[in-house]
Amino acid sequence: MTGFRRLDPVSLLVAPAVGYLGLVYGLPLLLLLGHSFVVDGTPSIASFVRFFADPFDWMVIANTLRIALAVTLVSLVIGWPTAIALARAKGAAQAAILVAIILPLSVGVVVKAFAWQIVLRRDGVVSQALVWLHVWDEPQRLLFTETGLVVGAVNVFVPFMILPIYSVLKLVDPRLDEAAATLGAGPFFRFFLVALPLSLPGIVTGVAFVFSMAVSMYVVPSLLIGDRFQTLATLTGRSFLFMRNPQLGSTTAVVLLVLAVAVVVGSAKLSRRFGGAS
Amino acid sequence: MDVNSIRPSRRTLLRGAVAGTALLSAPAILRAQTKELVVGGAAGHKPWVESIVVPAFEKKYGAKVIFEGTRSLVNLEKMQKNKGSQYMSVVQMDDPVMILAVKEGLLEPLTPAKVPNLAEITPAAIHMDGMWANYLQPWLGIAHNTKTMPTPPKSWAEMFDPKYKGRIVIPSLQNTEGLPLLFVAGLLSGLGIDAAQADVDAGFKKLASLKPNLLTIYTQQPQAYNLLEQGEASMIGPAMSSYALERKAAGAPIDLVAPAEGVFAMPSGIAVIKGGPQSDLAFAYVNELLGAELQAQLAGPTHSLATNTAVPRPAGLSADLEIHQIDWANVAAKRNDWISRWDREMAL
Repeated sequence: MTGFRRLDPVSLLVAPAVGYLGLVYGLPLLLLLGHSFVVDGTPSIASFVRFFADPFDWMVIANTLRIALAVTLVSLVIGWPTAIALARAKGAAQAAILVAIILPLSVGVVVKAFAWQIVLRRDGVVSQALVWLHVWDEPQRLLFTETGLVVGAVNVFVPFMILPIYSVLKLVDPRLDEAAATLGAGPFFRFFLVALPLSLPGIVTGVAFVFSMAVSMYVVPSLLIGDRFQTLATLTGRSFLFMRNPQLGSTTAVVLLVLAVAVVVGSAKLSRRFGGAS
Repeated sequence: MDVNSIRPSRRTLLRGAVAGTALLSAPAILRAQTKELVVGGAAGHKPWVESIVVPAFEKKYGAKVIFEGTRSLVNLEKMQKNKGSQYMSVVQMDDPVMILAVKEGLLEPLTPAKVPNLAEITPAAIHMDGMWANYLQPWLGIAHNTKTMPTPPKSWAEMFDPKYKGRIVIPSLQNTEGLPLLFVAGLLSGLGIDAAQADVDAGFKKLASLKPNLLTIYTQQPQAYNLLEQGEASMIGPAMSSYALERKAAGAPIDLVAPAEGVFAMPSGIAVIKGGPQSDLAFAYVNELLGAELQAQLAGPTHSLATNTAVPRPAGLSADLEIHQIDWANVAAKRNDWISRWDREMAL
């Protein structure tokens, strides 16, 4: 009884979320983990040994990480300035930017993927514009290439980079930048010693969001690059749905989970240290 | 407003209780009146099932048919998960998946007593002692865009022609219609159809030369046809008659041709699920789909060959055209190995 009384009542507020996630996420996850470590009814790591012995599987891991990192990086490069603009905009301009970021979230991923299929094809606007600008000599195909996949995936995930950075930046006093300028800091110092550390918590969150979504995306690659480019997520789906091989499916799912958590946690720790030191 | 006034009186409580009881008992009455038959099938079958088969069946048997359209392997998954308490009674799936379902003991054999129309269909359409039967056979040819490629292809070899660099779309080997591509490649490298199916090594080697021509390998048919209709792709092969000619009929600038080396039959199977509800209705549904009356109505709209011998061959396929049959048991045994090799050799 005393232990219950000492419990902070605020912690009860998370009880519905914990209960829900425990039931529909935690439990199935444990079952999945269990599946990958059991071979023919006995505990074994044989399925992981087999997985890592195959060079093809290493290529799949490389595909997955390369695309996820590229999507995260491009989202950051596009999203960060947008978040700054959004935080500094006032009134109607700010509302317009917010609507432009949030409204596309209501359009399904499949619709977006089909739209990109039109934009990226040989006679699509991107190809025509590049020919017109003499970047390309003749129309080329972007569809079903890694570049096309990154472009399409950034479109889907960039709001999840902008919004966390924006929510941090809007709480930052804009006079801090002016104060630094008054005290004689140049633009370079103001950026690295003032703006960057202040927006870092938002960037860490945004990177974690976008990376974990990009590393596990399934619909976007299957529509924008197709069967010839396997990632851990598409291989997991195929193992369960088509090859009827839950052993392989749970193994790839565990590898994906470990990689995603490692990259997200690792990058968060690194950037906090980097942010704290500066 | 007085908060107390919304407290229920004894009378309103009583009234509520009576209404509640009536509500609870109503569905039981409804259940007794209309029987429901749940049929699992392919998403692409939904239009003709719901516009032709279901109205005819509901009229004749006074039962309601619910058609769940998805993919063959998803249907298999549903049947496995619900083993012992099936809610689907009939399943329409591709033959390779039927073989898996038979292995897992999920199907109830069709007998001439329960399905009299079995006697009317071609014997080649009845499999594993009546575990399932084919009602229709869509055929596989080459679909082409009639605007960007006005001259129809005459041979499967044209897909390998270097002038179609980046313009060819093929199905994934995980799609049933994708498997015959391996055999096509075997045929093109000089093998007979039986040899091409028995040993796919030559086929894989030939397929490597198709890679520069590939726009993509699809798993979702609608996406592939979208590319073909927009002109981004010139050809899809193998392409299913049931899908390609459907799109043509809808006005898409595409056509399907039967190449000189022959076309492949894609048997669509139908079976009764073991332990499913409404067993009598389930056999009746299968019987209707094997009957000449429904097949004659369906052969046109589905652009397929009927298996009922009383229904004539549809227009579009010449009488001397070779229709290759696929050894699905062989496919079932080797498919996962083929998919592994395919992933490695066809990767970007």
